Amino acid sequence: MRATIKGKMAAVAALSAAVLVLSGCGGGSEAAGSGGSATSGEVNLIAYSGVWQDQYTAAVIEPFQAKYPDIKINYASKRSSAEMLSALQGQKNNPATDVAIMDNSVSTTGNKQGLFEKVDEESVPNLANVPEKFRDKEAYGPVAMLDAVGLVYDTATFPEAPDSWKVLWDPAYAGKINVNAPPSLLGLSLTAITSKMEGEDYTQGIDSAVTRLKEMAPGVQTFAPNPDEYQNVITGQTVLGLGQNARGQFYSDQSNKKMGVTFPKEGTVYQINTINLVKDAPHSEAAKTFVDYALSAEAQTAFAKALFYAPSVTNAELPADVKDRVVPTDGSLNIVPLDVEFLSSARDKWTDTWKRQIITN
Amino acid sequence: MTEPKLSIVDLTKRYAADLDPAVDRLNMEVEEGHLVALLGPSGCGKTTTLRMVAGLMDPTAGSIVVDGKEITHTPVNKRGMGMVFQSYALFPHMNVEQNVAFGLEMRQVTKAEQKARVAAALDMVQLGHLGKRQTKELSGGQQQRIALARALVVEPTLLLLDEPLSNLDAKLRETMRTEIRAIQQRTRATTLFVTHDQDEALDMADRIAVMNGGLIEQFGSPTEVYERPRTHFVANFIGQANFLAARVGAETGRANLAGESHYKVEVDGLGQFGAIGSTGLSGSSHELVIRPHRLNVSLHPGAAQAPLAGTIERVSYTGDALAVAVRIGDQQLHAQMLTSSGDLPRIGDAAYLSWAADDAYLLPAAAQPVRLAA
Amino acid sequence: MTVLEAPAAPERPSAQDEGQLERATERRNRRTYLALLLPGLLGLLVSFVFPLAYMVRMSFNQGAPDGVIVETFTLDTYIQPLTDPYYWRVTLDTFQMGVTVGILCVIVSYPVALFLARSTSKWRGLLVAIAIAPLLTSAVVRTYGWMVILGTNGLINSSLGGLGLIDTPLKLTNNMTGVTIGLVEIFMPYAILAMISGFGRLSPQLEEAAGSLGASKFKVFTRVTLPLCLPGLLTAFLLVFVLSISTFITPRLLGGGSVQVLATEIYDQTTGLLNWPFAAALSVILLVLFGLIIAVYQRLTKKIGG
Ligand SMILES: Nc1ncnc2c1ncn2[C@@H]1O[C@H](COP(=O)(O)OP(=O)(O)OP(=O)(O)O)[C@@H](O)[C@H]1O
Ligand SMILES: [Mg+2]
Repeated sequence: MRATIKGKMAAVAALSAAVLVLSGCGGGSEAAGSGGSATSGEVNLIAYSGVWQDQYTAAVIEPFQAKYPDIKINYASKRSSAEMLSALQGQKNNPATDVAIMDNSVSTTGNKQGLFEKVDEESVPNLANVPEKFRDKEAYGPVAMLDAVGLVYDTATFPEAPDSWKVLWDPAYAGKINVNAPPSLLGLSLTAITSKMEGEDYTQGIDSAVTRLKEMAPGVQTFAPNPDEYQNVITGQTVLGLGQNARGQFYSDQSNKKMGVTFPKEGTVYQINTINLVKDAPHSEAAKTFVDYALSAEAQTAFAKALFYAPSVTNAELPADVKDRVVPTDGSLNIVPLDVEFLSSARDKWTDTWKRQIITN
Repeated sequence: MTEPKLSIVDLTKRYAADLDPAVDRLNMEVEEGHLVALLGPSGCGKTTTLRMVAGLMDPTAGSIVVDGKEITHTPVNKRGMGMVFQSYALFPHMNVEQNVAFGLEMRQVTKAEQKARVAAALDMVQLGHLGKRQTKELSGGQQQRIALARALVVEPTLLLLDEPLSNLDAKLRETMRTEIRAIQQRTRATTLFVTHDQDEALDMADRIAVMNGGLIEQFGSPTEVYERPRTHFVANFIGQANFLAARVGAETGRANLAGESHYKVEVDGLGQFGAIGSTGLSGSSHELVIRPHRLNVSLHPGAAQAPLAGTIERVSYTGDALAVAVRIGDQQLHAQMLTSSGDLPRIGDAAYLSWAADDAYLLPAAAQPVRLAA
Repeated sequence: MTVLEAPAAPERPSAQDEGQLERATERRNRRTYLALLLPGLLGLLVSFVFPLAYMVRMSFNQGAPDGVIVETFTLDTYIQPLTDPYYWRVTLDTFQMGVTVGILCVIVSYPVALFLARSTSKWRGLLVAIAIAPLLTSAVVRTYGWMVILGTNGLINSSLGGLGLIDTPLKLTNNMTGVTIGLVEIFMPYAILAMISGFGRLSPQLEEAAGSLGASKFKVFTRVTLPLCLPGLLTAFLLVFVLSISTFITPRLLGGGSVQVLATEIYDQTTGLLNWPFAAALSVILLVLFGLIIAVYQRLTKKIGG
C-alpha cells in the first residue's frame, strides 16, 4: 500500500515538473543587446518569408556580410506585413528588432504609431540616390523596392497574355480562377481596379464594383489559394489568378514558363516595400549600415535580378532583360492609385464587404 | 423410458487443429425435468460443452438433439434456452424489470402478459419489490436471482447455468443452492449446471457427469458416483478416498441384487480383508477405495475385531470432526473421528483401524499405480 | 495440540484512536499531494490561466484600425458581433460544422473502434497503433493530402472523369464539403481512441446473454451493443466537436476562403486586420460555446448512466 502511494506521488511530481518545464519554455526573454558599432554587432531584421527570404538573403544579406563580416544579420520572417506590424507592436516597450522591410501601407501605420525612426542622409548616405517620390514626406523609412499586382495566367490556356482584367469574368474560365480575398492586398487591389473599370470613385463607394465582383465570385475556385496563387496555376488547379509581378516572374522562370504574369490595360496597383529603422533599436548603428547597403546600387540591382523587384534608387543599372520584367516606375504603366491613408480606413470595410456580400456559397 | 429431453452424441470441440480437443466425443442423455451437474476440475471442458449446447459455440463434430430434434446448427437465438452466466451478465442499461422482460420482448409477448410474467418470475425469486432497481444497485445474490428469473421467465426448453454460484460467498452459496434447486423442481426445468464444487453437485443434481480432460468419466446419480466410482479419478475427485492396491482373491458370495460380489483381497503390508465389487474381478489386481469416514479409528486395541495397528502421523481439527492420518507400515490411511470421543489423539499415539467389507469397494477398472488421496 | 489454542489477541488501538490516526494520516497525505501538485498548478497558471485572463481582458479593449489597441473597458467588441447577423451566421455555421463532423466522424469510426474493442487477437495492440498512427503526421500534411485528393484535378475527380462518369469536376474542395471530409478523416483517430476507452461496459457475455434470450444479431446490436456504447460515442462526438470548432488549419486550407467559421474569423482579425480586441471577444464567444456543449454533454452522460 505504502509503496503504491509513493509510486503515485512520484508520478504526480514528475508530471508537475514536466508541465512546469514546458510552460517555462514559452517565456524565454531576449537579453538586451550590447548596442555594437556601425561595423560590428548584429542586426535583427524582420521581413517576408518564403522565396522572398531566400532571394533577399542570397542577393543582399550574404554580400553584405561578406563586406561587413563583423555584423551578423538575424532574419525573422513573417508571412505578411500585418504580422510584422503586430510583432513590432508587441515589442514597442522593449524593441528587439532593428530593421523592418514591409508594405508601405503598413509601415505608414507604424510611422504614425511611433514604431520607427527617421532616416537621414548623414547616417544613410545612399538615401541621396532615392528620388523624392520614393521618400517619406516626414523622412521615415524610404521605399526599398517596388512591385505591382499582376494577372497570373496559364500559358497553355493563354498563348497570348490576356490584356484585360475582364477575362476574370469570362464564363469560359469559371471554376478555374483564384482570387486572394481581402485583407490580402491582391483582393484589395482588385476591388479598386474593378471600381475604376466601372467608372466609380472607390474613395466614395464601391457599390458598382461589388455588383461586378459578385458576378465573378461563383467562378472563383478559391479565395485563399494554397500553397500559393502561383503554384495553383502552375499545377493546373486554376488557369487565372491574381498575383504579384515580381514573384510571378520568378515562378514563371521556375516553372519553365508554364505560368506567366502580365499587367492588363485597365491598370494596376503598386505594391511598395519600405525599409524602416525601428525606434530605440538595440543595434541602431549597425542597422543604419545595413539600410545604407540595402539602398546601394549593388544591392538593388542584385535583388532586381533575383526576384524582379524594381529598384528605388536612381543609380541602379538593370540589364535589359531584367528591366523589361520589373514593374516600370517611370510613369509608363497605368496605375490605379491606392492611397495608403485611404487603405488603412478601407481595409476593414472592404474585407467585411467581401466576406458578407461577395464570397457566398 | 420416454425419449430423453437432451441427447448429446459424440460432441467434440477442438479450439485449434494442433491442440488436444477441449471436449472429446462426449455422449450424454438428460431426462426431462432432471438437473444434471457437469462436474470436473478446471479446464476439463465443462464451459465448452455448455456453450455448445447453448449455441454460443459451434462444435467441431457430433450433434445435439433436443426433444428429438437436431439443433446442432440452430443459431443461439432460435434455441429457446435460458442461460445464466457466471458473471450474471445483467444488462447494465436496463432496470430489473426490463432485464427480466427482455426475453419476452424478443418473443413478442404482449405488454400485459410481459408484465404479469415478469412479476411472477420476480416473485418466484422473492425479489418482487426490486423491479425498478438499477442492476448495479443489487447485491451479488440478488443479481444472481435476477439472472435466474430472466432465464426462467421465457420457460426455456433447457436451463443452462455456468458456475452460477462461484461469485458468492460460502454462506450465500449454500442458501442459493437450496433456492435454485427448489425453483428448478417447481418449474421442472431440465437443467444443465456447470460446477467444479462436488458438494454443490452432490446436493443439487439428479445426475452428475464427472468430466476429466474433455471426457465424461462417469455419468450417474450422486450416490452412484460417490459410492460406486468407476475410476480412480472419480473416486478421488468426489469426496476423499484411501486407495489401496489389492490382489483380488476368491469370490466369497453374492453381495446384493445389483450383481456385486464379496471378495477376499490381499493388500501388501496390511494383510487380507473382505471387500465388495462387481462380479468377475477374481485373480487380477484392482484398487480398493475406502472413504475416510468409513474407517473406524480406535485409540485402544480390542474395540473391534482384527484391527490394524498403526501410529497417528497427523491430526487436523475442524470443529465438527477430527481428521487423522494413520501410518501402518509403508501405507498412510486417512480417517475421521468424532470430536466427542473422550480422549483427543496426539501425534505418535497408537491407533487401531478397522472397516466393514461393504465399505471397501474395488474399482472395476484395472489398477493404476497407487496414489494416495490428498 | 497447538491447533486447539486460541491465538493471543494482538494489542490493538481502540477504534476511536484508530479513527483519529487515520484522519491525521489522511491530512498529511493531502498536504503532500498539494505540495507535489504545486509545480504543475503553477505551470498551468502560467501557460493557461494567465493567457486566458489576458485574452478576456483584451476582449474589453477597443480595436482601432491598423492594430492600434485602445486600452479601455467597453462591451462594443461583444455588442458588435452579437448584433451583427453575419457573426450569428458564422457562429451557426461553426456549430453546424462541429455537429456534422462530429456525427460523421462517430459513424465512420464506430465500426473500427468496435472491432478493436472486441478483438481478442494478439495483433490487437498493433491494430490499435495502426488506427491511431495518422496522429504521427501533422494535420497540415494530411490536409494537403486531402487537397490533392479532392481538387479539381485530384484523385477523385480525375478517376471519375477518366471513367466517364462526370463531365465537369465535382466541387469537393474550397467549400464546406471539403472541410467536412478533411476534418472527419483527421479526427478519426481521436474518435477511435475516445470510443475504445468509453466502451468499458461492453462485454461479449452481455451480447451472448441477449442472444440466448432470443435476440437476433440485429436486435443484439440495437438493444445491447449500441446502448452500451453510447457513453463512448458521446465522448467521441464531444471531442471531435470541440476539435472541429476550434481548428483553424483545415477550414482555412480546404475551405479556400469560402468557409467562414469562428476560428478563421479569429485568424483574419488577428493576423490580417490586427484587431486583437475583436478577435479576443470572438474567442470568448467560442469558449462559451464550448462551455454550453460540455454542460449538455454532462447532462446527457448522467442520463444514460455513463
Ligand atoms: N477460446 C479458446 N481457445 C483455445 N482453447 C480454449 C479456449 N477456451 C477454452 N480453451 C481450452 O479448452 C479447455 C476447456 O475449457 P473450458 O472453459 O471448457 O473449461 P472448464 O471446464 O469450464 O474450466 P473452468 O472450471 O476453469 O471454467 C481448456 O483446456 C481451455 O484451456
Ligand atoms: Mg468454465
